[in-house]
Formats: sequence, C-alpha cells, structure tokens
Amino acid sequence: MNSTPTNDNPFAGDSSGIQQRETAARWGLRVGSYIVVLITVAIMLHIFVKGAPVVFRSQWPFVNTQFLTELPATLHVIEDQQGNHIETDVNGADAVKKKLGDHFRAEKTISYSGGGILGPIVGTALLVIVSVGVALFLGVACAIYLSEYAKHGKFLEMVRLAILNLAGVPSVVFGLFGLGAFVLTAPRFVGVPAERSVFAIPLGFTTISFEGWDTCVLSGGFTLAFVILPVIITASEQCLQAVPQGFRETSMALGATRWQTIRYSVLPFATPGILTSSILGIARAAGETAPIMFTAALAFKDKLPWQKDLPPLPADASIFAHWEQSVSRFLGIFTESVQALPYHIYTLAAKIPQNEYAERAQYGSVFVFLVLVASLAASSVLLRKRLRAKYRW
Amino acid sequence: MSADPTVKTTPPPVVQVRDMDFCYGTSKALFDINLQVEYHRVTALIGPSGCGKSTLLRCINRMNDRVPSARVTKGEVLVKGKNIHDADVDLTQLRKQVGMVFQKSNPFPKSIYENVAYGLRIHGEKNKNALDEAVERSLTHAALWEELKDRLQANALALSGGQQQRLCIARAIATVPDVLLMDEPCSALDPISTLKIEELMHQLAKEFTVVIVTHNMQQAVRVSDYTAFLHLGKLVEFAPTEELFTNPREKLTEAYLRGTFS
Ligand SMILES: Nc1ncnc2c1ncn2[C@@H]1O[C@H](COP(=O)(O)OP(=O)(O)O)[C@@H](O)[C@H]1O
Ligand SMILES: [Mg+2]
Repeated sequence: MNSTPTNDNPFAGDSSGIQQRETAARWGLRVGSYIVVLITVAIMLHIFVKGAPVVFRSQWPFVNTQFLTELPATLHVIEDQQGNHIETDVNGADAVKKKLGDHFRAEKTISYSGGGILGPIVGTALLVIVSVGVALFLGVACAIYLSEYAKHGKFLEMVRLAILNLAGVPSVVFGLFGLGAFVLTAPRFVGVPAERSVFAIPLGFTTISFEGWDTCVLSGGFTLAFVILPVIITASEQCLQAVPQGFRETSMALGATRWQTIRYSVLPFATPGILTSSILGIARAAGETAPIMFTAALAFKDKLPWQKDLPPLPADASIFAHWEQSVSRFLGIFTESVQALPYHIYTLAAKIPQNEYAERAQYGSVFVFLVLVASLAASSVLLRKRLRAKYRW
Repeated sequence: MSADPTVKTTPPPVVQVRDMDFCYGTSKALFDINLQVEYHRVTALIGPSGCGKSTLLRCINRMNDRVPSARVTKGEVLVKGKNIHDADVDLTQLRKQVGMVFQKSNPFPKSIYENVAYGLRIHGEKNKNALDEAVERSLTHAALWEELKDRLQANALALSGGQQQRLCIARAIATVPDVLLMDEPCSALDPISTLKIEELMHQLAKEFTVVIVTHNMQQAVRVSDYTAFLHLGKLVEFAPTEELFTNPREKLTEAYLRGTFS
C-alpha cells in the first residue's frame, strides 16, 4: 500500500498488522509479569503491615521480647464496665478480677494466642536440624553415587525417575508414611518390647524392637528429610556434574583412587552449591505442615523439649552420673514431641474461633516465620557468593 | 643394569605395545598396533584427527578404563616389562609411574604448591620437607621455579595459559614417573608458550621418557626422536623421526607429510 514509487522511504513497514501483534505480545507478557510482582508485593506488605506491629515496639528495646521468649499460652481478656480490655494470662486473671470488683463486666479466653511463640520456634529449629542432617547425609551420598560411581544405563534412569517422582509426592503422603514407618514401626533398643511391637530381635543385653519412635522430633525430622531429599539429591548431583571432568581425569591420571579423586578434587568444588541448595532445603523443611502433623507436632505444649523432669541425683553422685544425665537430657530433646511454626499457624488460623486476638498471634507468627525464611535465603546467597569467590575455576 | 658392566646391553623398551586391538564398545578404534618406546627418548604420535592417537596414548596408563565398555580386545601392553592388564597390577601405582599431561591445561583451583604436591599427597607423602623438595624439583624441571618461587601459595588459576600447562607438567612429574604421556599439550597455546614447552621437552627426556601426541608435524620434527604415524586406527609407519620425515617408506606417510591427503 505504502510501497508506491512516490514514497521515498525504502524501509517503510507494511501494514499487515505484524507491528500490532508485536506490541500486543510484548504488553501481554509485561502485564503477566506485573501481576506476579504485584501479588508478591501484596503478600509481603499484607504480612508486614499486620505482623510487624505484633513483633516490634515503638519503645526500647523496639522488639516485643515477650513474643519471642515465651511459650504460647491461653490469653484471658477481661472487660470492665467502661469497655476497657485488659489482657492477662491464666495466673493474672483472678487478681485482675478482684481488683476490678464491681467494674468487672466479662471475661474471654482465647487459646494459644497469649504469651509468645518460643515453643514453635524451638521445635521448628530442632526439626530442621534433624531433617537437614539426615537429608544431607543420605542425599549427598546418593548424589555422589549416582554421579561418580553408577554406570549409565537403565538402572540409573530408573533411580532418577524414582527421585523425580518422590519430588512430586504430596507432602501429606509423606506424613502418613512417616506415621507408619517412624512413629509406629521404626526399630529401637528397649528392655522389654511393647505390646504393639511389630517384630523384636532379642540380643540378650537389649532387644531391638520394631515398635516405632512415637511422635517426636526424630520421627518428624526423618519424615521431613524425605520431603526435601529429592531437592538435595538433584541439586547436589548438578553441583557435582558442574565440576569439570578434567579435574577427575587429572586426579586419576596422577594415580588417585576414585574416592581420593572425589574427596580432593570434586567435593571441595561442589560443596558451595550443595550447601546453598541445602539451605533452600531448610526453608522447605521449616515450612511443611502436613509431614509433621502426625509425626512430631503438638498444638500445645507447656514445656520446652529440654525441660523434662529427671529424677534428682543424690548429692554424692559421681561426675559420671552427672555426665550421663546431661547426655540423656540432650538426647531426650529428640524424643520429645514439639510445637512447630507452620503447625502453630495452622492451629491459630483453623482450629480456634477467630477474633482480633487470634489474628494478631497468627500474623505475628507468620511474620517471624517469613523473616526467618528470608534470612535463610539471604544467607544462602551470601554463602554461595563467598564460597564461589574462593573456589572458582 | 647388567651384571657385567663391560657388556653393553640396550635396556628393553620401557613401553611395548604388541599386536594390540582396541574397541570402544563394538567399534574398533585401533588395529594390530605394535610400538616400542625407548628409555629417555621422545616419541611422537602423529596422524589426522580421529585416527586414534589419544586412544593409543591412553592405553599406556589405562586411562581408557574410565570409558565404559572400552577395552583391549587383542594383544598386550607392557610397561617396564610388565603386562599392565595383569590382575596384580595396581592402577594407582601404574599411573604414578606413567604420568599424563592433557590437551587442555587443567590445574586444580588450588595453590600452585598444592597442585604440584597433589600426586605425592595422594600417595601418602606427609613429610613437609619431602613435599617442599619435590615441589621445587618439579617446578625447576618445568622451568617455572624462578618465575613462581615467591608465590607458591597463589591460586594456580591466576597463571597464564602457558604457565598453567607447564604447571600441569610439573604436577605430572612430581611423582617421578618413568614415562610422561602428553596429549597435544601445546594445541591450546600461543606460539611463544609452545616454544617454551618444546624446549622443555628435550630437558624432560633426560629424566623421563616422553610420548607426545601432536597434530603439528613441525613440532614432531622439532621435539621427537621417534615418530609413529597413525591412520584410521592403524600404525602405518614407525621410525626415527628424521628418517620418517625425509625418507618415508610408506606411500600413505608420504602423502600425509606432503599434505596431499585424500
Ligand atoms: N570415549 C569414546 N567412546 C567412543 N568412541 C571414541 C571415544 N573416544 C574416541 N572415540 C573414537 O575413537 C577414534 C579415535 O579417537 P581419538 O583417539 O580421540 O583420535 P585422535 O586423538 O587421533 O584425534 C575416533 O573415531 C573416535 O570417534
Ligand atoms: Mg586426540
């Protein structure tokens, strides 16, 4: 149309609509991206606006220390005749009522919403330690085997497929598996097997009884380990594969055995990536609710895992007895059930009647949780940067 | 070597390849190879790309074992008189005594010192003095000591390409191998670095036996005492370098040397 000889622009575009389609495509993609960004920002802002006031104070020390250092408790709210609300815990309620006397109008109790969230924080930390420890050990071993030892072929393909499938299994399935495997059947050493024991092998001085570990940190941690295992295996294998083949060849050509080669010229250069991926695994493990619901988490617990009543030692107890008790106290941490942040949030949001006090506790917990996860992610990025600078090729 | 010092015996070849066939899975890569490598000589393997030079070289330290389903299907390889495929051959000891330098210089991203000490460390050397000594000796052999003696702790990746390749040579000779295998060690280097490594080759031959793969015929002329010409997996001609280049016996060799290759 516009390519008439009178037109002296030899590069004039035609009007077939290609330009319009180009513009439409660009705007379509751009709008999509903006929506994603917008929603992300909205989520963050929402949690910040509602959660930050719970955690921060306008006066020194600017942080609501009670929220971070106390266990969750039932909140008592007492209303006086003027309509003022006084918040207190179960111990303070009577004193407040007495003081108000005739001014007392009504009392409300809101479960789990008072006190702080130290219990859930500690529980989540313990679960993360166990799960990441187990998953790193199994995952890195598996990745090394797959990447450095296994012969390529059908079997390897099947193992890879299995691992990918594991990543696609809904986490509630892991929860049920953990219940069956770790809570109810995992082997333990006992004097006398419990009645529910599936199978017992007497060894004389003790018995290996397949009677499970009960709901505890160990059961939950192992279950979570299997949730994050695919992530860790896949990422570790990628990191191992990223180490140049030349390093392996050179090392072998110098007479190193396969394990020496892995130990001295593959693993050191893959570790930064493996650590980074494991930190992301931490975030994942910390956030899962379903796998710990049946295996480790309690809605309420009035003690921290190490606050257990052990029989007091006699005054003349040997140093060995003290030492033994400390060890059993330490090990006992892992055989206790705990509260955990995601499960606490779930309880606050879904298990108790909603009101302003419950909502406040919810958003406070969510805010703390997000800050923890964000700082983990940030530290993984920092760690990767520093290690990369040290080991680059 | 012999009991009677008045009788001059030539030592047996350090590497002997006898009637060897080599296969990658079902495809044969080397046919009926016979090759003798003499002590303290530089032997060059030349031939068009894909003719099996690297494969032959890697048969000598059994690096081909790393390739699944690759194996020698006929004949044998003897190093220092021992069949290296015997069951009682420890691969780590074989490779300690048959060092290798690769085409792509690949120092570990560790310090210069650690790179050179690597081979000794994995063979269990813990003595600091012995390590220091070996590092100095190897770097001196590789003509790097003067340049690098003040920054042994610097990362090896900070070196230039030519220095990196010489470092790889130092790393390979730190365990004092009898044979040093080099697979196109200069093909990724600039002319000046190449020259330095070629000069080095003559020095190295005094201490070690060198087998070098090269696609550069001039290089073979400059550095080697013997040359083997391979074509399509067959060893066409093996002769003293001068003889092979001035007076080739085989038509194929002549055609290759003239560059009129079909
Ligand atoms: N890992 C391997 N697997 C299968 N075939 C290979 C492998 N390496 C080399 N080959 C084949 O063996 C032949 C010789 O290769 P190579 O020894 O690398 O030749 P050159 O070093 O002379 O260029 C080529 O045809 C090549 O395709
Ligand atoms: Mg080659």
